[in-house]
Amino acid sequence: MTNRANQIAGAAQAAPAKSRRRGRGFDRQAAIVALLFAAPAFIMYAAFVLVPLGMSVFYSLQRWDGIGKMRFVGLNNYLIVLTDSDLLQVIGNAFLLAAWFTLIPVVLGLAVAAAIREHLGGPFGTVTRTILFLPQVIPLVAAGIAWSWMFANSGVVNQTLRGIGLEALARGWLGDFTFALPAVGIIGAWVLLGLCTMLLVTGITKIDPSLYEAARLDGAGAWDEFLYITLPGLRQELGVCVTVTVIAALASFDIVYIATGGGPGIQTTVPGLEIYRLAFAHRQVGLASALAIFLMVLVLVCVLPIQWLTRVRR
Amino acid sequence: MKGLTLDAALARLLIVVLMALTLLPFLSMFSAALAPSGSYPPGLAWPADPQWANFAKAFEVAKMDELLLSSLLIVVGTVPLSVLFATMAGYGLAKFDKGRGRWFYLVFVLGLTLPFEAVITPLYYEIKALGLLNTRFAIILPLIGLYMPFGVYWMRTHFVNTPKELSEAAQIDGASEWKQFWLVHVPLARPAIMSLAILQFLWTWNQFLLPVVLVQDPLQRTMAGALGAFQGQWGTDIPLLCAGALLILAPTIAIFLIFQRQFVAALLQGAVKG
Amino acid sequence: MKLRHLNAAGLAVLTAAALTGTAMAAPTCGADPVVMNAYFETGFPLPSKLAEEFTRQFPNVTFDIKEDQFANMMENSPRILSEDNAPDLIRLPSMSDLVANELLANLDGYFTDFGWDKFPPSQLIQLRVEEGGRPRGAGSLWAMGLNYSMTGVFYNKELAAKIGMTEAPKTLAELDALMQKAKDAGIVPIMQFNKGTGGLAFPLQDLMGSYGPPEPINDWIFQKDGATINTEANVKAAEHLENWVKSGYFAADTNAIEYFQMMSRFTGGEGLFMFNGDWESGNLDKNFAGKFGFFLMPPVEAGGRHAAMSAPLTFGIGAKAANKDCAAFFLDWVATNEQARKINVEVGGSNPGGPADLPIPAVTPGSVTEATLAAGNVVATENGAMDFIANATGAIFAAGWTPELQKLVGGVQTGKGLIEAVQAEYEKELSR
Repeated sequence: MTNRANQIAGAAQAAPAKSRRRGRGFDRQAAIVALLFAAPAFIMYAAFVLVPLGMSVFYSLQRWDGIGKMRFVGLNNYLIVLTDSDLLQVIGNAFLLAAWFTLIPVVLGLAVAAAIREHLGGPFGTVTRTILFLPQVIPLVAAGIAWSWMFANSGVVNQTLRGIGLEALARGWLGDFTFALPAVGIIGAWVLLGLCTMLLVTGITKIDPSLYEAARLDGAGAWDEFLYITLPGLRQELGVCVTVTVIAALASFDIVYIATGGGPGIQTTVPGLEIYRLAFAHRQVGLASALAIFLMVLVLVCVLPIQWLTRVRR
Repeated sequence: MKGLTLDAALARLLIVVLMALTLLPFLSMFSAALAPSGSYPPGLAWPADPQWANFAKAFEVAKMDELLLSSLLIVVGTVPLSVLFATMAGYGLAKFDKGRGRWFYLVFVLGLTLPFEAVITPLYYEIKALGLLNTRFAIILPLIGLYMPFGVYWMRTHFVNTPKELSEAAQIDGASEWKQFWLVHVPLARPAIMSLAILQFLWTWNQFLLPVVLVQDPLQRTMAGALGAFQGQWGTDIPLLCAGALLILAPTIAIFLIFQRQFVAALLQGAVKG
Repeated sequence: MKLRHLNAAGLAVLTAAALTGTAMAAPTCGADPVVMNAYFETGFPLPSKLAEEFTRQFPNVTFDIKEDQFANMMENSPRILSEDNAPDLIRLPSMSDLVANELLANLDGYFTDFGWDKFPPSQLIQLRVEEGGRPRGAGSLWAMGLNYSMTGVFYNKELAAKIGMTEAPKTLAELDALMQKAKDAGIVPIMQFNKGTGGLAFPLQDLMGSYGPPEPINDWIFQKDGATINTEANVKAAEHLENWVKSGYFAADTNAIEYFQMMSRFTGGEGLFMFNGDWESGNLDKNFAGKFGFFLMPPVEAGGRHAAMSAPLTFGIGAKAANKDCAAFFLDWVATNEQARKINVEVGGSNPGGPADLPIPAVTPGSVTEATLAAGNVVATENGAMDFIANATGAIFAAGWTPELQKLVGGVQTGKGLIEAVQAEYEKELSR
């Protein structure tokens, strides 16, 4: 690591000297070459991200059924997004989901990491990594199908409750007004659990063990150690976990589409699903686009502070 | 102190519980897949008369062979080009580590958190205008574009951290910029490129929203999209649905198990950098 | 506005007259290989069985069938029909918006070519839509029914015997009493689905038919000017349904039950009643012979008029479809071919429709199919047919009925609130 850093530092010192020698003409030529290297990427990015994004903004200012004539309506669609009680609930659902997607994996991951505080090596480590990562490699659709079955009337969850005498708690989870959203949250948490756990377990091995020894000499308890050493030491990894899980929740589509279709009522409808419905089933392309732009901004607004708060100063 | 401390033993116990919870849905699907077709079996119970034929039937009705081929074609169409473009751009943009030109890189970075839903509606009309609806290109082309922010970010991070002496040395030898890139930098960047390729393979294979919107024919879709269609058509038959879902998962899981180390490393790094 | 409609109708008549004048031979599928692009509903074997038989009779025609669940079909059909490879045959959840967006082929020409004027006009009335998408019930023909189905109440004979039910209830109060009896005996009174799509729409519409006449409901479904679902009778019906929910007549996890789970649980012996359509009669007769019965929803007062949701199993032809003629020929064949009609009744369980002079294929005495066909006659003579309230607009099921009915079951919506919310959604959609 230090070796690499030295090399970079050395290179950084050498570079300005070189370019000064070659003069400004080289700078321009180098810039052109660099831009040429970036051109294919930029063309694809522009064609399939920037242009559609621009079109999204344009559509969002229109009333359009996707077939007939467009009609300019200004910011009206955004006004609807911000005032329609159903759409506000849909946006709120995304945040509730974010809480489930984030808290369960982070809390469980922290518990494992804090307790183990060492590198998970050997066959046990390999098996752990492999199994905990399985939900990360399968499609979210599959997670949705598997868990719809877990939560079904005769599924494992109810089977277990009935088996331990808690029959009264058994219910149609994905159709229950109170429990459908938490149930969807658990599906997301299941998918993200392994990733967060392994990130945090890997992160904790990077904390200098002498910090813990010093704390112990000072008579700190386990809780103090966790609060003053482990948590700050894992700041970066926690930032990564929260960023990944929050984006997964706010931009969720696959799991909800498969497991609940947004029901019961609109209890589990999320912006991604609503955009899809509005645009393609209800033919309100303008409103769908306004919600899409709003969602994009929402994700940025949520993720940037997390990144900033957990940034590691170098 | 050879034995485990109490903490570590507890941690291991917790991990074992988490592993069991991770595997439980798969086991439940497996037990359901062996129940008689069309029945509603209990969540987890070894069936009295395991119906292994369900897998054969699911293979047939899902046209698994054609699905595999379709997903492979989409991956082959997407990942190599996407990785190449990202590597080139990462290399080029690494040269602008300060001053002018940085905005160019920022444009890419801004796309890092973009939810696909934000562009799916216009993409539909764009792909329709291009006459590519219901073809694999409807998935391949947008995916390459959508992968650029992460790919460029990933590869640029790599190249910014590459010692400059190397390219300096190559420059002095009079090698063209392309030759430097191709013969010196790409081989050196192999680990980063491999990880990127693994991540994009997974993302492509598991892509759902694009096929749902842009491609109706399950046989032109990705695995995830095909699974969605399979659920639409056979979701009313739980054992068959579970058998089909497991079959559709099998190739991914097999590849994952073989390249377990690389996948885990890529996913961890991908998360940290992404 | 009115004038324009008149003109359009006049034009249609003229065109039709012109076509009859030339007396062209009715279209066929020809002799060259044809691959029909078909989009059917998952879980209902009838269309595929008919397609199979059609291929047997016309080997040059094969079917490329895609299936999807009803909720997905509702979402996908506008998009699929607007694309270049639009289906030749598509199961239509609702038509008005598709006609408004010019996504369906106009069948007026085929009506003349195939002599569909020999069908009872009432059969096709629900399939007619005015230019521009509203109102429905008049104007050009845009779709055909594979058959003509009807809803009512299925009951489990064994459980009925257990609670001493010897004959079909004659009034709504009698039906209520039977449900209470079942509940007291520890039997789930109603097995009904409400996940994915709002299956409580079936009992709700049946209750609407008990409380009031079907005409205003049809006007609302057909989008006639000024029509509203928010009538006194309909509010009473919704409140009655709310009472059923509150009385615990539905299974506790109704909001988590999808259509096919309902079928599986009901046929497995869970639940005394199920509100459903005669499309299940064939299935019940074949797989559970003698176990289930059927009756029409009783009116509020004994001897009152019976009404039932009764709608064609609607199939349309995409405006951009490649094989329109062959698709129309298929639809005509379904209604007129003897073998097709037999399959239609055996597998579909519903009235195959078609020319008035064709006999309905024989059915087993005492079967559910016999009961539903007889009930269909009652509804026809009492003029009690209603289209499905979920077919009023393209989005009213997904954006109105389904979420509101789920809320009703979840205890967060009242009967009155439900009707008001749906009417508001309806007006919002029509104002677009």
